[in-house]
Amino acid sequence: MGERRDSAIASGHRRPLWRRHGNRSVLLSAVLFALIVGASVVSLPVASRWYNVQDLGTGVRRPPSWSPSVSAEPFFRAASSDEAASPSLWDRAAFRLVSLMGHDDLGRSLFYRLLPGLLISLAVGLAAAMMAVVVGVSWGAVAGLIGGRTDALMMRVVDVLYGLPYILMVILLKIGLTRPLTSLLGDRTRYAEVVILFVAIGSVSWMTMARVVRGQVLSLRTRAFVDAARVAGAGTWHILRRHILPNLIGPVTVYGLLVVPQAILQESFLSFLGIGIPQPIPSLGRLAADGVEAVNAFVGFWWLLLFPCLALVVVLLALNVVGDWLRDVVDPKGAAM
Amino acid sequence: MIRTVTRRLLLGLITVACVYALTFIMVVTIPGNPLRQSGRNLSPEAEQALRVRYNMDNNWLYFRQFITGAIRGDFGPSFSYAEWTCGQIIASALPVSVLLGFLAILLAVAIGVPLGVLGAASRGGPLDLAATTIVLLGISVPTFVTGSALLVVVGVYLKLAPIGGWGDLAHLPLPALTLSLPFMAYIARLTRAGMLDVLGSDFLRTALAKGVTRRTAIWTHALRVAFLPVLSYLGPATAQAMTGSFVVEKVFGVPGMGQHFVNAALNLDAGLILSCVLVYAAILVAFNLIVDVLYAWLDPRITGAV
Amino acid sequence: MILRIMAACAFLLIVVLALFTSASHATRADFVYVNPSGIHTLDPARMSWTQDFRVALNIWEGLTTSHPETSAPMEGAAYFPPAVSEDGLTVTFSIREDAKWSNGDRVTAYDFIRGWRRAMEPGTAADYLFFFTDFIDGAHEYVRWRSENIKALAALRRLAEGVGLEPDAAKALVRHPAFEEITIPLTSRLEVPNERADEGWAAFGKTLATLPMDWSSLADRCLTQHARDMDLHFSDVGVQAVDEATLHVRLTKPCPFFFDLTAFPTLLPCHKSVERLRRRHLGLPLTAEGLVVYDPQWTKPDYTKEGYPGLITNGAYRVVDWRFKRRLRLAVNPFHRDADSIACRTVDMVVYENVSASIMAYEAGDVDFLPAMDVPYDHELARLARTGERPDFHLCQTLATFFLNFNCESETVGDRVNPFTDARVRRAFTLATDRTTLVDKVLGRGDRIARSFVPPDAIGGYEPPSGLAYDPDEARRLLAQAGYTSGSFPVVEILYVPSDAVLCQALARMWERELGVRVELRAMESKTFAEAKARQQFMVARGNWYADYYDPTTFLDCLIGDNGNNDSRYRSARYDELMAQASSAKDPIRRASLLQAAERVIVEEDCPILPILHYAQPIAIQPWVKGLYPNAQLRFPFQYVTVKR
Repeated sequence: MGERRDSAIASGHRRPLWRRHGNRSVLLSAVLFALIVGASVVSLPVASRWYNVQDLGTGVRRPPSWSPSVSAEPFFRAASSDEAASPSLWDRAAFRLVSLMGHDDLGRSLFYRLLPGLLISLAVGLAAAMMAVVVGVSWGAVAGLIGGRTDALMMRVVDVLYGLPYILMVILLKIGLTRPLTSLLGDRTRYAEVVILFVAIGSVSWMTMARVVRGQVLSLRTRAFVDAARVAGAGTWHILRRHILPNLIGPVTVYGLLVVPQAILQESFLSFLGIGIPQPIPSLGRLAADGVEAVNAFVGFWWLLLFPCLALVVVLLALNVVGDWLRDVVDPKGAAM
Repeated sequence: MIRTVTRRLLLGLITVACVYALTFIMVVTIPGNPLRQSGRNLSPEAEQALRVRYNMDNNWLYFRQFITGAIRGDFGPSFSYAEWTCGQIIASALPVSVLLGFLAILLAVAIGVPLGVLGAASRGGPLDLAATTIVLLGISVPTFVTGSALLVVVGVYLKLAPIGGWGDLAHLPLPALTLSLPFMAYIARLTRAGMLDVLGSDFLRTALAKGVTRRTAIWTHALRVAFLPVLSYLGPATAQAMTGSFVVEKVFGVPGMGQHFVNAALNLDAGLILSCVLVYAAILVAFNLIVDVLYAWLDPRITGAV
Repeated sequence: MILRIMAACAFLLIVVLALFTSASHATRADFVYVNPSGIHTLDPARMSWTQDFRVALNIWEGLTTSHPETSAPMEGAAYFPPAVSEDGLTVTFSIREDAKWSNGDRVTAYDFIRGWRRAMEPGTAADYLFFFTDFIDGAHEYVRWRSENIKALAALRRLAEGVGLEPDAAKALVRHPAFEEITIPLTSRLEVPNERADEGWAAFGKTLATLPMDWSSLADRCLTQHARDMDLHFSDVGVQAVDEATLHVRLTKPCPFFFDLTAFPTLLPCHKSVERLRRRHLGLPLTAEGLVVYDPQWTKPDYTKEGYPGLITNGAYRVVDWRFKRRLRLAVNPFHRDADSIACRTVDMVVYENVSASIMAYEAGDVDFLPAMDVPYDHELARLARTGERPDFHLCQTLATFFLNFNCESETVGDRVNPFTDARVRRAFTLATDRTTLVDKVLGRGDRIARSFVPPDAIGGYEPPSGLAYDPDEARRLLAQAGYTSGSFPVVEILYVPSDAVLCQALARMWERELGVRVELRAMESKTFAEAKARQQFMVARGNWYADYYDPTTFLDCLIGDNGNNDSRYRSARYDELMAQASSAKDPIRRASLLQAAERVIVEEDCPILPILHYAQPIAIQPWVKGLYPNAQLRFPFQYVTVKR
């Protein structure tokens, strides 16, 4: 799609939104994002122990409250393997917040599932983006550099892959990769599932990157400095490394960054279908999907819906805003992506 | 023109064939037995008989059978639904998805393009801010959230629309709106970016100097150029919208194609998977072709108008 | 310019919409109910889902039917009770004169034989084939004979295609009499491998393909011969039509629940018009591989190929319209004997994939009956039913059990050690399960706690043993006794499908806490799950079982050594012996006590399964609907329903 778009005249005097009001919204998004992610990271040592602590007595489906509405014992017991030791100050303080967002079907604290869930969703997004970048850049760069028939062939392959329906491919890949990857990763079946997930999502996200990179490489190839380098006797590999790759970093970072929210969205769809991140590992997508399914006219569990959806929207919004801004800065013409 | 079209058509056919081959390889290499139900186990005689009947024990025979059938229009039986052939399933679901997708894209263009234009025209003003906010929300909120919210608010509390289902005019607006939101956002963003580019250009200044009103300049001349990237996006977007979104269909109970993509994959129903893939690829190729033709037609440098 | 394009699009849109809306109007039926997932199949011989049974039993009528409230067998197309011989092994049914098909034809004994024979055929792939092979004299031999021939014929067809044979197919071919035709001309060159050994057969299969034989005509000759032999062999099966109205059935062993079986969809009759849709090869009523196959579209009401008049049924209703995944419409069968007294003349089954939306539609009054409400908040619905706040919500206590299978056979699963081959370990885990918390607190749906496989107070004349109660101390002691000190127990894996997520997570934590073991959870989609379970790739896997008839054996037969549904691969000579004794016992009291002893072995001693709960299905019946009764088998005949909106 990047090659399609031709603007009639070069953009002259364009002032993206961000330069006027925009810097403020970008700043706001970035700050919000940093706050949420920071809170998640800070709470990680505690949350990684507490995300699965169930309270099947009073805690089942408790609404949010400022003070804890579940008993402390299972949390503090999970805190240390030495049962006699009394909980640390840090744990005690963290426990005060346990009912802040209410509890789910198993009495687990939504607060301490949401925060690590956020990191997990981000991790999935980043991993998928990284895979998309690696595969996409290699593919596009090779196609752009070699040119000619190979280039045409490689781009035909991309066209064919575009012709595969996305959801079907992800599901088939997930089903198909489960056995080989589980046998590869052996003992850690849970992690195998997560790996499969972002391999599947990454495999359907790299094509746009390949197209963009190829376009860039093609245009860079004909630039003066490359000719000069060639005249000076530099080899293809040298040209690639010194001249082309550095110029790719900008667009690649930006488009790679934009894959992250897409991947997070895709993961939330897969969780909605029931085949996303495996239980009991939380992820924003799964929490949001569970919240949506719990909506009904008889009894309201609004906290199960509100907090995950809000968090999901804020994260995606922030990523998209920052990504857009970066793109306007780095590659103003490529807005077709 | 004719030559380009023919060439693209041929390329499209090859693409469809490659897509089919690739999917076939995936389907047969994935382990799993679509004949097995999770409740009761089939007796070995029954399973063996079914395997012979469906040619499941020999990949090459199955491949050949499917291709020869597909050329005749017979996509074979579905493993998950005994009485319905893949052809019948697709014939019942595709028109629904096509209609819904068509409406969604229409809405997306009808609202998204003006949104983008107005946003670019007011450049930094309140309209632009509003437009950008809508755009960002459209690509940041998952469809199952917007869909469920709309269903509950409009269907249950306001009682303005029926609660899911299909068959009446009244069943159309909510799912079409939900489906259109992500596309609308993307189209608005593309239009806005394109407009911003064009607005600073020479040929527009020339037109204004010639006495064309600002309004005509923006909506006719500039938009014509800015619309081009939107047009190329519309190709894959329409294909995607028309082959249904599983989420929208699940939330609103629309009997479209999206659920078949997902269920066929989950059930390892080879015939249905291959049929769905063929349909999707065919629609994609068709719409890309239409878009290419329209593109060549609309591009002012080719038609020479200004 | 753009405006012109937009105008064209809008015009297109209006045209399309006009076409669309004009095609879709339909009046509302007298009675509307919801089926969340749609019908899987309408072929009674192939059915295995409750929602399909529900429709089938409304449009067809078997020799007996089930009472709408008590589920006891009662009159159907035959007079009830039929004549039973002294030894209980011969049953004679007299078909009523007023039993009619929906086109006016009389229902005859031949229709039943046709239906039963079709269900027995391997090509139909009936899930409930064992109803015939276990209980009807001669059925097992007939099915086996047919299967052998089919395998051999299929092998010949493969050879005719030039494709080499798999070892199984090669063995089947060698066993078949046709094989002699091959060896006679080629004795010197063919060396048949040893029947017992497995190696050599693959190569043999490939060699066969290279032989200069006319496989195709050999196959045709075998097929013709086989078609001639088929009726002869079938006459040995214990079903005979003495005349149009009399059906003799010979059983292999006394079957106290046989009249439940005759009310079951697999034993429904089949109208003779279906024969027109039989797939033929060379004019023979068989496919090229010898299968008996009918065009699967025979269940459609509007299918008219080959002069087929569309689906003809003999029940209270007939199918008038079937839209895939949208709606199934039934109308009263005008020739049914009670046709005039049926209040609901049309019935609509609508599909709502989103169950929450179906509940919203019910609340809005668009739907009259919800036979299933499987939503994440079903605990709330159950509560409303139990307290009586919503008198239109009911809880059906079903004859079904949800349990966990332990893998009793495999030493390792993947590359992990499977500790559950030891009965003490299984018993320990059973003792460590606090079912009260799981069922009442976690699920809270009103299910009954299950400590036995067969639900208590459900089957007349049978009380299941009390099972093992929650006793974590004893559990820990047993584990120690089995040789596991704390920390040395291997990792436990629970395999489940996404719908059981909540319960399995709670259970995992429970075991971790009580027994100090590490538990991992693995969720799989249902097809991959079924595959993994069938291949024994699990340590603990969820399972459920719905009773097919009112007798403990419907549950207990599953755990007999070589039963196809014995997912745990539990092998106990003692259990098999007890069950065999029970099946030949004539005295019902002695039989019940033998079955109880057998069940005690599985729920108190060997524990190959861990029963958790007996399902309570929440259903919703609008206050203006009368004649629907909550029952254990979730069967709802619509002919007794009245709707006063």
